Amino acid sequence: MTEITWAKPKYPRKAKGSERLKFLAGGGLILASVIYLLVSGTLQGARYFITVDDLLQDGAYRGKTVRISGAVDGESIEYDSENAIIRFEIVNIASEFDDLASALQAALADPAASRLSILVEDEAIPDLLQHEAQAILTGALEADGIFRASELLLKCPSRFEETSPEGLSAIPEHN
Amino acid sequence: MLAEIGLASLALALLLALYAAAVCLLGIRAGDETLLRSGRNAALLTFPAILLATAALVLALMTEQYQMSYVWSVTDPQTPAIYRFTALWGSQRGSLLFWSLLLSLFTFGAIALNWRGEARLMPYAIAAMMATLAFFLGLSLLLENPFERWWILPDMPEARQVVETALIPPGAIAPARENLAASATGLNPLLRHFGMIIHPPMLYLGFVGFTIPFAFALAALASGDLSTGWIKATRRWTLIAWVFLSLGLILGGRWAYDVLGWGGYWGWDPVENAAFLPWLVGTAFIHSVMIQEKRGMLKTWNMALVIATFSAVMFGTFATRSGVIESVHSFARSEVGFPMLAFWSLMTLIALILLLWRWQRGELRGERQFANLLSRETMFVLNNVIFMALFAAIFWGSFGLPIISELFIGVEVTIGPATFEFFVVPLFVAMYILMGIAPLSAWGSTSARRLGKAIAMPFSLTILSVLLLMMAGTGAAVSIFGYGVALFAGYVALFEIYRGARARHRGLNENWMRAVTALFRRNQRRYGGYIVHLGVTVIGIGVIGSTVFQTEAQHTLARGETLAIKDYGLRYDDFIRAQAVDGRMMNIAELTVLRNGAHVARIRPRVDDYPDMPMTIAGAHSTLENDFYVLLIGGNRERATFRIYINPLVNLVWWGGIVLIIGTVIAAYPKVVPARRVRKREAESPKQPGGVLL
Repeated sequence: MTEITWAKPKYPRKAKGSERLKFLAGGGLILASVIYLLVSGTLQGARYFITVDDLLQDGAYRGKTVRISGAVDGESIEYDSENAIIRFEIVNIASEFDDLASALQAALADPAASRLSILVEDEAIPDLLQHEAQAILTGALEADGIFRASELLLKCPSRFEETSPEGLSAIPEHN
Repeated sequence: MLAEIGLASLALALLLALYAAAVCLLGIRAGDETLLRSGRNAALLTFPAILLATAALVLALMTEQYQMSYVWSVTDPQTPAIYRFTALWGSQRGSLLFWSLLLSLFTFGAIALNWRGEARLMPYAIAAMMATLAFFLGLSLLLENPFERWWILPDMPEARQVVETALIPPGAIAPARENLAASATGLNPLLRHFGMIIHPPMLYLGFVGFTIPFAFALAALASGDLSTGWIKATRRWTLIAWVFLSLGLILGGRWAYDVLGWGGYWGWDPVENAAFLPWLVGTAFIHSVMIQEKRGMLKTWNMALVIATFSAVMFGTFATRSGVIESVHSFARSEVGFPMLAFWSLMTLIALILLLWRWQRGELRGERQFANLLSRETMFVLNNVIFMALFAAIFWGSFGLPIISELFIGVEVTIGPATFEFFVVPLFVAMYILMGIAPLSAWGSTSARRLGKAIAMPFSLTILSVLLLMMAGTGAAVSIFGYGVALFAGYVALFEIYRGARARHRGLNENWMRAVTALFRRNQRRYGGYIVHLGVTVIGIGVIGSTVFQTEAQHTLARGETLAIKDYGLRYDDFIRAQAVDGRMMNIAELTVLRNGAHVARIRPRVDDYPDMPMTIAGAHSTLENDFYVLLIGGNRERATFRIYINPLVNLVWWGGIVLIIGTVIAAYPKVVPARRVRKREAESPKQPGGVLL
């Protein structure tokens, strides 16, 4: 069953030295171009993904494009539909947690947690922008203390994750 | 009862898969044909066993068995029948079972079609496929069991009275059905869309399908049968997996376009990227494998690519299902993350060790070397370099940079869509140029003069098209360049089909229709491939049009007022609140779309009120030229606010996808060899079976 039928090739035709040099030079050029593309793009477009606390406490981040994550306070959401401007507040989420839904709830219940005002311009209001959603924003904290976001990503873990049914009563026999 | 049937068949499938893998390996070691046949039969039986488990879950979903916690979590009494069925892949547990079903189906097909023809490879391939299947079945049984049920334990403290278990705990009582029905969660509204009905199965078929070429490559490495047998056995499977993956990606884009309401279809989200990565490596593999078949070259590279494709599939599965990646697409954070990471590492490591072992023994040495810069094999290698550079750039931006920065500087660094576009645009330009040049070069060597002569006609057509676009005032030079590059690749594909048909028309005196048909029939793979290239050209034109020339605006209109935007007009006619059959309230705006003052369509963008969230559904007037796409932001009968997008050529993205699928079907369609030729082959090779599908 496991008989080997493969045979070594007899005489591989070799490329001439000059051709090989051309291949090596071409390959090197392509590799260098791709590395340059990746390095220059990364240096231009890199954004630190930090917490609300980091942003507020470290002055070095002010005015720089960063990515932050926070729990959305539903009561703070305002939408100016005439001018397509979204305003809301996010609350710092603990950096280590087991369950995102619980972490979001805990963050919003903590009166001492840092809060940040967000402004998003020229956007339709997303369906998922709701209380206890996780907002992941890209933008910069301006001198007026408002974070102006150019990208807004939302997750509502409590709506996707399974919970347990409540208020169950038993029936006497098994299904 | 359904839960017991499902659980028992799932457990049986796991035992069969483990047995098949173990017995095949033992059979190889002992050279025992009986053991190998037993392993094969066990592997074949996994499909009916998993089918039975899946049928039990589907029946439970359709008949509202809310005691099964999966049914309770993805449906409720208002869920329409179609979404009850599609809820099978609506959440982690069901979709893992569905994944196993598809893998067992592919395995069944691969064994049935290749057992005789590839007898030396099959035992190893079965062992690899069954090990993968056993892993996923194990996840389903141990961590994400879709057959768990809610139970009440009356003797326990109140906080721990309700439990979720697969087996019935001692003293447990079943909860009342009406209470469960009242609290059932229902399917996430974002998943209630046509695209979501078929996008996940297509993507899964693509992901799962790449297990087959990987298993055969592993079999070739393990058995030492490093001839092109494994490639021939898996050529069609690779194309099938690739077309399903392509379809899954396109449908995912269509779903995002229709449902997420941002007027786009690709957001460079990590989970989208994770599904795109295997497509890139798989496409590189489809091209480079031709060099091995035609020229006996790149044997190590092809093995590395097929391993990388499977590895990318496993990584993509991990990225989507573990919940550790920040994305709009991810499943909830789950315990499957670590086992998936471990399985991914293990399979990749085994494959790489085998590859290195064969490579250092010199058994994967090519039969020829690259001798000419303009040869087709060089072009194909360049094509591979471009695909791998795209892979590297997207992987780096999505996963490499965030992970490395977190490890070394303690802060996660990410990049946004603009940087991804900075990476990929030049690489895609290079890809389209190569897609144009490569088919015109010859195997072995091509002179610059000959290549120039072949390029002359498609290049002239490209220049003519570019001039026409410039005269028509089509935007900036950069977009015209983009159109030119995409068109060049398309013209080459068309010109090659024309050249082939003309040769038959002149040489064999066939009429044009017959010449084209015969051309495709005689060389399905080559000409099917040209149709795929045409599809990619159409997609490219659609992407340029819809991203570079998109118009976006937001306006509030009074009832009866008309907004002028470009040569369109949008009149706000009415606002209706209506109740759907499943009980949700719908806020519908009635709008009239005008073009140059003439009525062209009525559209109804709406916002549906689901219990947990609103859901914005766009209204669109679609033509091949553009999509007039409107979202209802809010309002009442007197005034309402709308966000309007005009997306030029966006429908070419979907139509290009259809062309791509047609091309792949042509390339992969089984060719039935006429009996006369089969007899001739049998005479040459007595072991060849009677009927052959090529």
